[in-house]
Amino acid sequence: MNKLKTNATLFIQPILAVIVGLLVGTIAIMLSGESVAVTYQEMWKGAFGNLYFLTNTLERAIPIILAGLGVAFAFRAGFFNLGAEGQLVMGAVTTAIITVSLPFQGLLNMIISIVAGMLIAGLYSFFAGWMEQRFQINLLISTLLLNYIAVLFAGYLVSEPFRDTSSAGGVPQTVMVDQASRLPKLITGMNLHYGFVIAIILAIVIAFIMKRTTFGYEVKMLGQNVFFAQYGGINRKKTMFISLLISGMLAGLAGSVEVLGMHYRFIEGALSNPQFAWTGLMAALLANSNPVGTTIVAIFLAALDTGSLGVERNTDVPNSISGIIQAVLILFISAKFSFEFLKQRKKEGK
Amino acid sequence: MESLFDLSLINSTLRMMAPLLLAGLGGAICSRVGVFNVGLDGLMLMGAFLGIAANAYTNNVWLAILIAIIGTTIFSALYGYMMIDLQANMIVTGIAMNFLSIGMTTFALRTIFDVQGAYYNNEMQGLPVWEIPVIDSIPLVGNLLSGQSPIVYLGIVCTILMYIFFKKSVAGSHFDAVGINPTAAKSQGIKVRRIQYLAVLISGILCALAGAQLSLGQVTMFSENMTAGRGFIALVATMLGQSNPIGVFLSSGLFGFTEAISIRLQGLNVPTNFTLMLPYVITILAMFIFKDKNQLSALKNSAGSSR
Repeated sequence: MNKLKTNATLFIQPILAVIVGLLVGTIAIMLSGESVAVTYQEMWKGAFGNLYFLTNTLERAIPIILAGLGVAFAFRAGFFNLGAEGQLVMGAVTTAIITVSLPFQGLLNMIISIVAGMLIAGLYSFFAGWMEQRFQINLLISTLLLNYIAVLFAGYLVSEPFRDTSSAGGVPQTVMVDQASRLPKLITGMNLHYGFVIAIILAIVIAFIMKRTTFGYEVKMLGQNVFFAQYGGINRKKTMFISLLISGMLAGLAGSVEVLGMHYRFIEGALSNPQFAWTGLMAALLANSNPVGTTIVAIFLAALDTGSLGVERNTDVPNSISGIIQAVLILFISAKFSFEFLKQRKKEGK
Repeated sequence: MESLFDLSLINSTLRMMAPLLLAGLGGAICSRVGVFNVGLDGLMLMGAFLGIAANAYTNNVWLAILIAIIGTTIFSALYGYMMIDLQANMIVTGIAMNFLSIGMTTFALRTIFDVQGAYYNNEMQGLPVWEIPVIDSIPLVGNLLSGQSPIVYLGIVCTILMYIFFKKSVAGSHFDAVGINPTAAKSQGIKVRRIQYLAVLISGILCALAGAQLSLGQVTMFSENMTAGRGFIALVATMLGQSNPIGVFLSSGLFGFTEAISIRLQGLNVPTNFTLMLPYVITILAMFIFKDKNQLSALKNSAGSSR
């Protein structure tokens, strides 16, 4: 009974946040002079209206889910990994370069290029952890700074040494991935690819690791109480490094599958401009770092994105409406500590 | 190479660094009271947009700046309310505020001006260029320092004022006390909450000016997400400058210089990506050497409320 109650309070906050977010969206729509009902209808249609839009939404959710899972994993261990964007881009650019450099194509090429991307991204995240451990360089700052360095470095790689020179001008990009080394589509004619299956499986695997394994328990302990964890014999350094490595690898995977499944090449800015990583971070926060919850919220946030594109196509409301709703959502959610705080104060008052 | 380094480079450095300096000072005053301000970028963007929007309606650049300041300060009050009263995680709130600012300005740009991407109007007057009477007449120095927008000079004045404020005034030491140990400060009768609010509001004003310099000083237009991460560079300048006004001045000067030079390097064969990377690389390297106590305690606060 008690457990049910805590579960209920866990869900009330996000649902309230969604309602408030949509309310603010309503105000914005009214300000722009469109009909609220029509706009939300268009948003629904743009996100889930038919098979094409539905699969589009799920495709958009793939990098958000994976990056979100990565961030959630580090959060669980008590580390704020703000570097998902850099790790995602590093993973993507590595995969894009490796896959076209290998002499053979097909499944093996796919596996090698994805693993390489994940490794580079994982090491990138590990590097920030190492700097914190060894030199007390704050993880928040270093991961944030490494984002810019990664995006600029990847931009250099595709605009100079690995640029596709066959098409003159335009946005810098790498050479197309061979047909045989692409992630296949789940349904022919639709954008949705096998990256979605990978993301869902990983969400379940991570949920299992968190709940059922010793390592998952250690990670959780470390996140909840460093002193207790260390008293209980948990090696902080080791757990931190491993959780950051995994976190980075997941973010890198987000970039890799997007390259092999969607764009078929690394295009400068195509992965950082839609802010997949930051949306993933929001998903992880909204879901309180629960892997399955992160997946669901990621799909929801992706639906807001694709839905707002539909809104823009068919009404006069600009698609930045989704940004406003998302920001209000996250603001509302992050205030949750205060409610507990207020409750406590009330109790003390009595 | 002659064309790379000449005297006008200093002039363009001053112009480039002004927004970074002002926002960086905003970050510094927050960090001195234990608030880690990740929302500088969003505040700047809000200032830039309001400056242009108000200018379009009032046709008066000074009134436009005033409106930008008022609007951005209100926006920063929301930010402060989230962080200080609702105890929300500072970093998450900051990121959300940045998202909100991008969303709101883009939304308003399209609904009010009915344009996509960028708004400009050739009849709109930007900030004037000021020739400083005395300095202007000094041969070399005149060329270097004169002929900037008033906000550039204001940035320098703010640096000096903030330096004096923290060094000499009682209120300044109260600010520091709140940053170092809020509980101890409270026990001494210092109004912690009020001082933290004040710092966040001041950072709102400074960021509004920084944004106005971008949209009314350097160019006279607004484009979607026109700060392009400058708020984060300003945050980095705060960290590199160890929340000290002079330090912020020097580090934003360095970043302004790299920005100015990267524009020139585009003509030569140096990849601009590397020159753009410089501020971040330098900051990471600097963090190996310096340890900013204020920043660390501000970060500790932000991490403390993270779970």
